[in-house]
Amino acid sequence: MEENFLSLDDILLSHERLPIRTEITFPRLGFLEKSSDTQDIAEGTKMELPLWLSKALYERKRRVLSVELPKVYREGWRTVFNADPNVVDLHKMGPYYYSLGSQMLHFDSPENPDIAQTLLQTFIGRFRRTMDSSQNAYNEDTSALVERLDCLEKGLFRSGQSGLNGFQSWEKGQATQLTASSLVLNYRKRKITDIQS
Amino acid sequence: MDPSEVEFLAEKETVKIIPNFSLDKIYLIGGDLGPFNPGLPVDVPVWLALNLKQRQKCRIVPPEWMDVEKLEEMRELERKENTFTPVPSPYYMELTKLLLNHASDNIPKADEIRTLVKDIWDTRIAKLRLSADSFISQQEAHATLDNLTLMEINTIRTFLLDSLNCMYKLRSNLQPGSSKGKFADY
Repeated sequence: MEENFLSLDDILLSHERLPIRTEITFPRLGFLEKSSDTQDIAEGTKMELPLWLSKALYERKRRVLSVELPKVYREGWRTVFNADPNVVDLHKMGPYYYSLGSQMLHFDSPENPDIAQTLLQTFIGRFRRTMDSSQNAYNEDTSALVERLDCLEKGLFRSGQSGLNGFQSWEKGQATQLTASSLVLNYRKRKITDIQS
Repeated sequence: MDPSEVEFLAEKETVKIIPNFSLDKIYLIGGDLGPFNPGLPVDVPVWLALNLKQRQKCRIVPPEWMDVEKLEEMRELERKENTFTPVPSPYYMELTKLLLNHASDNIPKADEIRTLVKDIWDTRIAKLRLSADSFISQQEAHATLDNLTLMEINTIRTFLLDSLNCMYKLRSNLQPGSSKGKFADY
């Protein structure tokens, strides 16, 4: 799945760090790795690189580096997700669970079909709760509901809330009332009568 | 789409009024509006009916479906059926709100009617959410949308379309190599 070049969420996502293992030496790049003081990065070092760099350097044939799956996508956590997706706090597991999972599929691990299936099933399992909470929480503090959601789900929550708020404000009759814009109130524009006097 | 836009579209429906003034036939672009004679009922669009009512020039006759017994039957039918039942009018929610806000003195038992319509609306919205949930959880490709009104579709539209988009992206992960490089967003 390709990243959307212009999406802010995808840009922030590509900063996530992945644990990798180098397969060849990187001469004179020792300053990138804080733990060792050598001038080169030796073969077989374990480091953390951001996603954008790992994706660019990854090549199946030349074996520059090999990426390990972060823990959330491994066997242990996958069984937790298959058992009950609603229990997990996806925000703590990396706020970009779904998008990062989709990007990890680039790195040709043998567990790819399982990862893809788990992502889909987790989304479907959590959908009901997201829908119910977004459509029923009118005029309340929603921070408790939102804090366990991943970024993708937060976007869905927001669009559900906007539909609900639109309908409720129409029903109360607020849709036809004219209110001063917040910019005008904040800047307190001077009236012509103040200037003239 | 805004709920206000849906309300605007609803104002095109016709309703019966009894004017207390007289006027010859008027010819508008949308159609002719018949001669107005005091005391004789005439069919006009809702926007005109509300305007005349606010100027105290007419009395609005409630539509046939806006009756306590009929709405109670509809509510019971809605609760029994699993699918959506035919609605009293494709704009029942908007017409209820408009007519009950402006012309509640012409409509008997206005509060009960408001409660009944709200009950019908809540039942339908609950059914809509249930069917959206089963749509997503079973990953069906299409669903029938009989007897849904525009207002109901409008409240759920953004949410459902966004979640279906997310699902599509996650599902395309299951087929590796089929979509690489094909979709470029400009």
